[in-house]
Amino acid sequence: MLLQQLVNGIVLGCVYALIAVGYTLVYGVIELINFAHGDIYMLGAFFMYTFLNFGVPFLPSFVLAVICCIIVGILLDIIAYRPVRYADRLAALITAIGMSIFFENIALLIWGADIKRYSREWIPHFFKKLFINLPNEHFQNVFLTVSYLQITIIVLSIILMIILHLIIHKTKMGTAMRAIAQDKRAAALMGIDVNRVISFTFALGSGLAAVAGIFIGMYYNSIYPMMGYIAGIKAFAAAVLGGIGSVPGAMLGGVVLGMAETLGAGYISSAYRHGIAYAAMIFVILFNPAGLMGKRKVDKV
Amino acid sequence: MKKILLTLSILFIAGFLFADVKIPVVSPYTGPLATFGEGVKNGALLAAEVINKNGGIKGEKVVIDLEDDMCEPKEAANIATKLAGDKDVYIVIGHLCSSATLAAEPIYKSAHLPAISPASTNVNIGKLSKYYFRNVYKDDFQGKFLARYADEALHAKKIVIFYENNDYSIGLKDAFVKEAKKRGLKILGTEAYTQDDTDFKPILTKYRALRPDVIFIPGYAPQGTLIISQARELGFKCKFMGADGLDDKIMLQNPDAEGLMITTPFIPDKAGPEAKKFIEMYKKKFKSEPNWFAANTYDAVMLAAEAIKHAGKNREKIRDYLASLNSPQKAFHGVTGATYFDKYGDCQKPAFIKVIKNGKWVGAEIQLK
Amino acid sequence: MERKLKIVGLIIGLFLPLFPFPGIDYITRVATLTVLYIVLALGLNIIVGFAGLLDLGYVGFYGIGAYVAGLISVHYGWGFWYLIPLCICAGALSGILLGTPTLRLTGDYFAIVTFGFAELVVLLIRNEIWLTRGPMGVAGIPPISFFGHQFTKEWEYYYIIFIIFLIVLLFIKRLENSKIGRAWFAIREDEIAAQCCGVNLVRYKVLAFAISASIGAIGGAFYARWFRFIHPDMFKFWESILILCLIVFGGMGNVWGVILGTIVLIPMTEILRNILPQEFVQARYLIFGALLVIMMRFRPNGLLPFSRERKDENFKSS
Repeated sequence: MLLQQLVNGIVLGCVYALIAVGYTLVYGVIELINFAHGDIYMLGAFFMYTFLNFGVPFLPSFVLAVICCIIVGILLDIIAYRPVRYADRLAALITAIGMSIFFENIALLIWGADIKRYSREWIPHFFKKLFINLPNEHFQNVFLTVSYLQITIIVLSIILMIILHLIIHKTKMGTAMRAIAQDKRAAALMGIDVNRVISFTFALGSGLAAVAGIFIGMYYNSIYPMMGYIAGIKAFAAAVLGGIGSVPGAMLGGVVLGMAETLGAGYISSAYRHGIAYAAMIFVILFNPAGLMGKRKVDKV
Repeated sequence: MKKILLTLSILFIAGFLFADVKIPVVSPYTGPLATFGEGVKNGALLAAEVINKNGGIKGEKVVIDLEDDMCEPKEAANIATKLAGDKDVYIVIGHLCSSATLAAEPIYKSAHLPAISPASTNVNIGKLSKYYFRNVYKDDFQGKFLARYADEALHAKKIVIFYENNDYSIGLKDAFVKEAKKRGLKILGTEAYTQDDTDFKPILTKYRALRPDVIFIPGYAPQGTLIISQARELGFKCKFMGADGLDDKIMLQNPDAEGLMITTPFIPDKAGPEAKKFIEMYKKKFKSEPNWFAANTYDAVMLAAEAIKHAGKNREKIRDYLASLNSPQKAFHGVTGATYFDKYGDCQKPAFIKVIKNGKWVGAEIQLK
Repeated sequence: MERKLKIVGLIIGLFLPLFPFPGIDYITRVATLTVLYIVLALGLNIIVGFAGLLDLGYVGFYGIGAYVAGLISVHYGWGFWYLIPLCICAGALSGILLGTPTLRLTGDYFAIVTFGFAELVVLLIRNEIWLTRGPMGVAGIPPISFFGHQFTKEWEYYYIIFIIFLIVLLFIKRLENSKIGRAWFAIREDEIAAQCCGVNLVRYKVLAFAISASIGAIGGAFYARWFRFIHPDMFKFWESILILCLIVFGGMGNVWGVILGTIVLIPMTEILRNILPQEFVQARYLIFGALLVIMMRFRPNGLLPFSRERKDENFKSS
């Protein structure tokens, strides 16, 4: 039972991490709590649904859905966030909340309120297969089931994390992103096209959100317009827990949060599962005021 | 402030010009619970269409006034005040969530405005106000019935209950547990979840080694379908049971839900002509299967129209008319069977068990008497 | 000019429910809700606008106030007027409890901890059924009464909340111009500089928390006795966000801005409900969201910005 709970916890943690890495990326560059990130994740799942529904095969729909989300992300940046870039941080936060409400209701109008499912034929058979299925003839008393989809989610979140880390630290664009995170004005003076780099960040973040939305949509197989709201909050919590702005931190934060929730629900009380996760989060932050992997900023006068 | 005044004055003038009969249907059409409002909306619109096709209420057309309360008590109370002050409203259909109903109830009571809720099951509603009626199962009856079925028809010995942390689910769970204990069934555990949950594996894992015969899910379909799928993935071989909350087309689309048993006031393949016609019309108009929200709302609107027809446009008389439907002989016959009210305005309905076979609802082979 | 507007607004507010108008009950109800939200927004404004801390858990205090008032009036039959001091104490106490350990935190870490706190409060309310009746909600709370007269009309509640609002407004205006208020502004502008100038950070931050939480709790107490029913769903995270929107929309830190923002936003959804045709019943919040975005686009500092010049550089340190 403990073994299965650990697997459950890691998968749930990776689900949170998948959303949280995109979240923390945008935050790291422009210090914006992007409430609409969860909704892009939702749009990703819905675009995928729409393309599959039109009879497009799995892989092309996947690519199309991710591209659509990237476009939405860039438009989101240009239309909503760019005008408030130099305004108060809370103005940007309210803009993000406004966009989140807007996306949720647009989705409600387009796709309707009832829950959608990916039909079984749409998804490659590979994902449905079981990787480990116990008990079998060798192990009589061990209960453990792991599906390929779960393995995919774990591997995918690790790969995405590594890719992101490389983009941020090894490419020119990544250097520009880090420069903007340090100081937007100085970066602009150094000849960095700030708007272009931030748009790129949004494109990257939205693409990640779309990938997360599609895989998590497949994993739970239920998509609905409000699915981004809770996921967004949980991802935000995971990102902060790990040290907001840090990509490996978001991954770690997601896994810690998922683990706390799973073990809390499994061994303490299912009614308080979120409470246990939040309590663990508060506890960590109180003792580690910059999150697990964040750098403590020293304020200077 | 001025804006509201202006808008309202325009609306009130507009209200006087139309001679139609307005029936407000209050339910969440946006927000996290909008998925439940969908059935309510469709059921109400279909009912109005049928009434108007048959000549309306004494020649006057029925107009459905959709009011969105988002299942938020605060919005529900605003709408209730609006409707209470509107002289053209004689009866209200709604609200859906018990929390919204309870927030609106004192307002309807002081305005003497009768209301029929097609979905709120909180035990307090009927007792607090004589203006509230409900054409939905009572939790205690349904929970008891399901426990009997688990014992007598399924011969279950070990049962696990997953319930949502809301009054509907808790009411069903408590009634089920009470009856099951009386019959000596073993309840392995009761686990709560919330409407926001998507991952049920931690709590399912707890019970796998105990090999339950039946998992009872007295919740709603969005989470129910996830629980069933995740249980099958973890290798559970048990049967699944639920209440009317699981009656939704999402279950039919879920191949894992094959064999799921739930309560229903009518069995689709053996239903009376009334119910059959309703299902047909609904499928034709909305291209999907009606769920219990749709069926109950359809009946509630029909009943409201009937009440206005008999009692005239008078709130007090409409209430008295509804209260007079107090025995099976005087019952109103709709698609969900006979509806009549006890002294609290709650109703008794026949209960059957239906089961998913090949992606379709059919009546279960064993029915209790 | 501005002074005149305030007086006119006050007079309109004072006589609003007395207009002999069809459907005045509905208008009064929405107006009562608006004034209640003004009180709540003024309370949150102390932490967010004055002291510059992003608090996402304000609804926790509001919920505590509502449940303390609701449960005590159902079980022990206390009158509303005795409940107010009790709720102030409960609010202040919980504010201090949350405020003290979170002092070290800055920015978004602070925000997420306050959010976690509010979620824990709601979870406790939802799960401790023996105490709070959980998701069944507390129904049958008695209406407010005064010397044996029970208030049941909408306009009576309007005046009760209006009086509460005036008292809170007066209190906050006095605070704003006092030593405490100036200490808060100093903390908001630059925490370290303030500390160097001898502002006791711990004391003033906790004080901000306690006062803000008390005002939230008063709002909760009124809400419970006005609705006569409370339910955990009333205190969801969204309420915190909504109140935050009111503040930023109106002009953070500016009391009059906050009031104006609330007067525009809270009735907005009700106005939209009435002017949108039936087919667009689902578009209400779509417009609401778009409005927030457009507003921030053209007036990023709110309808009535805080009067002291804020330069871009402030943005970095906040």
